Amino acid sequence: MVVGAGFAGLTAATELAAAGIDVTVLEARDRVGGRARGLQVSDGGWVDAGAAYLGDRHTELHSLMAGLDLKATPTAMRGASRFALGSEETTRDGRFPPLNAVALGDLFERLDELTATVRPDAPWLTPGAGELDALTAEAWAERHLAHPDARLFFPLFLGEMMAADPARVSMLHVAFYLRSGGGLRYLNAFEGGAQQDRIDGGAHQVCERLAARLGDGVRLGEPVHAVHQDDDGVTVRGPKGEYRADVAVMALPPLPADAVDHRPEPPARRTGDRTARGCAVKVHLVYPAPVWRDHGLSGWSVNARGPLLSTVDDSPAGSGVGVLTGFVTGAEAHRFAALDPGEQRSAAVGQAARLFPMLPEPVGFHVTDWVNETYSQGCYAALFGPGDWVRHGPGLTAPHLRVHWAGTETSTEFFGLMEGAVRSGRRVAAEVLARR
Amino acid sequence: MSVDTTAAAAGDPPAGPGAPAGPRAGADTEGVVAMFRRVLESEDVSADSDFFLLGGDSLVATRVLSAVARSYGVELTFEDFLGAPTPGRLAEKIADAR
Ligand SMILES: Cc1cc2nc3c(=O)[nH]c(=O)nc-3n(C[C@H](O)[C@H](O)[C@H](O)COP(=O)(O)OP(=O)(O)OC[C@H]3O[C@@H](n4cnc5c(N)ncnc54)[C@H](O)[C@@H]3O)c2cc1C
Repeated sequence: MVVGAGFAGLTAATELAAAGIDVTVLEARDRVGGRARGLQVSDGGWVDAGAAYLGDRHTELHSLMAGLDLKATPTAMRGASRFALGSEETTRDGRFPPLNAVALGDLFERLDELTATVRPDAPWLTPGAGELDALTAEAWAERHLAHPDARLFFPLFLGEMMAADPARVSMLHVAFYLRSGGGLRYLNAFEGGAQQDRIDGGAHQVCERLAARLGDGVRLGEPVHAVHQDDDGVTVRGPKGEYRADVAVMALPPLPADAVDHRPEPPARRTGDRTARGCAVKVHLVYPAPVWRDHGLSGWSVNARGPLLSTVDDSPAGSGVGVLTGFVTGAEAHRFAALDPGEQRSAAVGQAARLFPMLPEPVGFHVTDWVNETYSQGCYAALFGPGDWVRHGPGLTAPHLRVHWAGTETSTEFFGLMEGAVRSGRRVAAEVLARR
Repeated sequence: MSVDTTAAAAGDPPAGPGAPAGPRAGADTEGVVAMFRRVLESEDVSADSDFFLLGGDSLVATRVLSAVARSYGVELTFEDFLGAPTPGRLAEKIADAR
């Protein structure tokens, strides 16, 4: 029995089924994919309302895609960027913001130095872990960043990279996240980095194709609320009834996993009072064509004020339409999510038109609000708050009798990414097979 | 960080007739080569290697500028770096600015 039909759960179920095990997957939502979700913007043109990007180091995801006949398509970003970091918008070649380069370099040097100290396999064993884990990213910045440009850029950087509000996330978690994802430079880069490609047709297709192969073993609309174990097996309860299994794999983000009633209770919880949620809203602005390209612009922008803290050209290849994806992250995501649809539209469309004055009226406008998703509670991923890694880290993957844990937040490799989710699914399947 | 300290301690290269060939080659160029090696995590850097052809990007370039400021007390801009993307030429810029 697998609970959760995201990348982690479906990978685990696929591997278990391949080993001849009879698997059922219970999924709360009426769709598979979890934090990956497709959005159709034109005839045959799909964009990613959730997870989107991958890089060459995401080897498990690449091999999964190859087996499902899915291709990667480059995010090739050509042309100049737009920046609204001071009183007016400016245009610059490349992606480097018009800020003091030495100050940003100091910030990146410090982050890199910190990242290098992290124990990637066991962040709680990092030298000085207790102290670093007690510190929020905001407190760290106050202590270590003197230049106003570094102070301005740090929250934008964390927002873009982790959808994190610096006041809520532990600095050990930030350093761990950077290490886990392959370092500052790899995580930040499009070409040659973690944003090199998208999945042609949408990331959700990986999950849909895995689910199609599992057939009626995948049951939708089954939010599990209780998992009770006895000497002979596990009883998993949802609103439609109960299921009996030898073993249960909980392939959920940590906050939803802790919302399930477990008996007996696990020795340790997976989250604490300060575990935060990554907060992201994705906005898709659809235009008849990617007209910014004709003006030498890449569609990339970075903005100190919201709602769109950054924009990127996500036009689906071959579709003709131009799509600008706007990222609304961190504290700004909460503000934006609270607006009514009309206010959201005028704020986002207006900001895009100031950044890219050549834009016509959009022909499509979509807001995907991940802030208030009961079955995610953390998008892009959960953010470990002060004290979380030291307290909850050591138990994240430890099986609780017949219950095993998966999900991207249980992976110390590529934590928070699709790749981490796939790796966790493979790890948990191996654990379950090893029981026999 | 020890690499940077060494470079700083070496100070200005002698620009006299005995100095090695090339535009003000010497201790500064060596120091900048060491910085490139550290941030690019590659030994494959010489005085005339182009930072961006070696796979460097703007984020990593700012780390070089930070190291330059710490070691030589010179604040260069990102545009300075784009115009002088090899250790030899960057060392020249540093010398000019001092
Ligand atoms: C806006 C956004 C952008 C992102 N961008 C990227 C990106 O560019 N690249 C990248 O690699 N990653 C990105 N991510 C992260 C990526 O989406 C996740 O790391 C990955 O999808 C996690 O997979 P998972 O299987 O661990 O969890 P999930 O996808 O969350 O799957 C868990 C499943 O469990 C279900 N569930 C929850 N509670 C219950 C319950 N009680 N009973 C039954 N089912 C339940 C959920 O509905 C869900 O389907 C992004 C995420 C978001 C939201």
